[in-house]
Amino acid sequence: MARRPILGLFDSANSAADAGDALRQAGIPDTDVDFLTDAPYPEGAFGEREEKHRLYIFPFIGGLLGLTTGILLTSMTQVAYPLVTGGKPILSLPPMAVVTYEGTMLGAILFTVLGIIFESRLPKLKAGLYDKRITEGYIGVLVNTEETQHGQVETALGQSGAVEVKRESGQ
Amino acid sequence: MASSGEQQHGGGHHAGMWVFPVAERVTAEVTGRTFAFPSGYKLALGVAGILTVLGVIGFIIKLTSSGFGSPGPWGYYAGIFSFIFMATGAAPLVAVAFRFTKSHWRRPLSRVSELFALVGVVNVILFIPLMLALPPILNPAAQGTELEVRRTLWFEVPIGAPHWWDFLGLVGLAVCSLAILWLSAMPDMAQARSSATGFRRALYGLLAGSWYGSKRQWIHQKAGLAMLGAFYFMLLVFVQFVFITEYAMSMVPGWKDSVLPPMYTVMSFQTALSLILVIMFVMRRWGGYAEYIGVSPFWSASKILLGLTLLWTYHLFAFFITYWYGRLEFEQNIIRYLFTEPYLVLFLGNFLFSFVTPFLLLIWNPLRKSDWGPTLAGCFALLGAFLFNIRTFTAAFNTGDHYEFALSRVPAAVLPDFGDILIILGGLGLAALVYLLAAKLIPNMSIWEVKEGAKYQKMDTLMKADYLVLAKPE
Repeated sequence: MARRPILGLFDSANSAADAGDALRQAGIPDTDVDFLTDAPYPEGAFGEREEKHRLYIFPFIGGLLGLTTGILLTSMTQVAYPLVTGGKPILSLPPMAVVTYEGTMLGAILFTVLGIIFESRLPKLKAGLYDKRITEGYIGVLVNTEETQHGQVETALGQSGAVEVKRESGQ
Repeated sequence: MASSGEQQHGGGHHAGMWVFPVAERVTAEVTGRTFAFPSGYKLALGVAGILTVLGVIGFIIKLTSSGFGSPGPWGYYAGIFSFIFMATGAAPLVAVAFRFTKSHWRRPLSRVSELFALVGVVNVILFIPLMLALPPILNPAAQGTELEVRRTLWFEVPIGAPHWWDFLGLVGLAVCSLAILWLSAMPDMAQARSSATGFRRALYGLLAGSWYGSKRQWIHQKAGLAMLGAFYFMLLVFVQFVFITEYAMSMVPGWKDSVLPPMYTVMSFQTALSLILVIMFVMRRWGGYAEYIGVSPFWSASKILLGLTLLWTYHLFAFFITYWYGRLEFEQNIIRYLFTEPYLVLFLGNFLFSFVTPFLLLIWNPLRKSDWGPTLAGCFALLGAFLFNIRTFTAAFNTGDHYEFALSRVPAAVLPDFGDILIILGGLGLAALVYLLAAKLIPNMSIWEVKEGAKYQKMDTLMKADYLVLAKPE
């Protein structure tokens, strides 16, 4: 059976939080429920599950790659052109700092941008279920579940005070 | 969530200090104002456009009359580039820094500062002629007391140094600031896409078509902004260090100063904050944003501006006193060249506008507690920064022999020619033009941040006085 979204629209944050409780009582797993808002709400405001992110891995990898590239580039240049400057050793760290630092930063920045795109699942080619009123302060409770459970979900959303319950067009 | 009408501008002796936008109306009002083109705005765009054209003419005059054979003729170009880079490069950092501190007063200024990301692209383009004007590291005519290589940061000269590494740094800054702008504006563009038409609608669909405001998206947006903000700060300070070292210090024989790069960075923070205050003042007074921008952001920012003003002066003094006590002839020559002889007037103007006037204005509390006081101080600081950059880079590019062991004489001041004046006007015009266009392309107030702030702030009464009640969600 296909999983399809259903959206409950609420005009107050408290009602949306109640809907979260009602869905949980109806046996809908937390992972199937999402709260759509026009501005960030404090962690746990709707009694929702805690979301963890692993975005920090991306700049770490990017930075490491940039650092390695910078070290290789500068050390290989120093070895390829062995000029003694100011009586310092041919392979010395201070002259390498500028390029390795820049390489590290650029790698970290590029990978952070890629990480954000990947982790936020952007771009998403298929338009999702949404309502313009969310931009005016309404809260959307989006449930992605089996079609057989849609009746149950609709009841839970309606009883919690949803001003409207929407399904994908064609349903 | 929403505030009542009487809370709009606070009350009692706090009137106008804090404003409480009505969350439900923010999207419609901000997008409406962003999409509107009042006659004053069209005039500003026209003036900026004309100045840009003049700048292009000036550049062509300079290119055909001088070429890139010697850096001297490009001193004023370097000065105006540095001024634009100093102010606009650090501007996105203002949003980043105050977002880190989770202050509520920064909400109206976030987007004002982030929009400068698009001017960052202009900085990359404007930098290209400077790459060509920079003298090579290896001295083409080394003999006698001259150095075989110009004094430079690039000791071992890796591939592409210094030009391409400087350029890559600027590109990195532009990419990072654009990513910050995109990430920050994505929720607003998604909210505005239903009322947008034509090109804006297509743009918003492309850049924010997948944004729905889910918990996952908000968390990644917050984490992404924090990380990119930290990287932007780390890269900005680095690029400024490389730029001022390579394009100013290494051009003046014998100028070895560890204070100049931090002084440049501190001044860039002072200049960027000043510029943002000026723009916010214009938006509040004439842009229809009085209900979004209270006096509070000016008051809060003024204290930081005062601190930066004092910090700049401390660095200037540290720089000056080191060379003033220097017993060598070239140390005295550097002081005479940059401070007391050919460029004395520019230095005095720089000192007056970067320190004396902002300091005298900002130490006065009633003035800090107004919108025009910090703005006026900001205008002076901008003028001071302009004079600093013109003085430093014109002097640096016109020392004559850049391969000399030390500055053996004090060169004469170089006055701007017709092409220089056009280039200066054009540089300012181009930066203004891009910013003005950006402010009509992307919502010029951070809608989601203003709405978020509306949830956490309200006026309340304790006994007979009004108080601002602030909540901190974390």
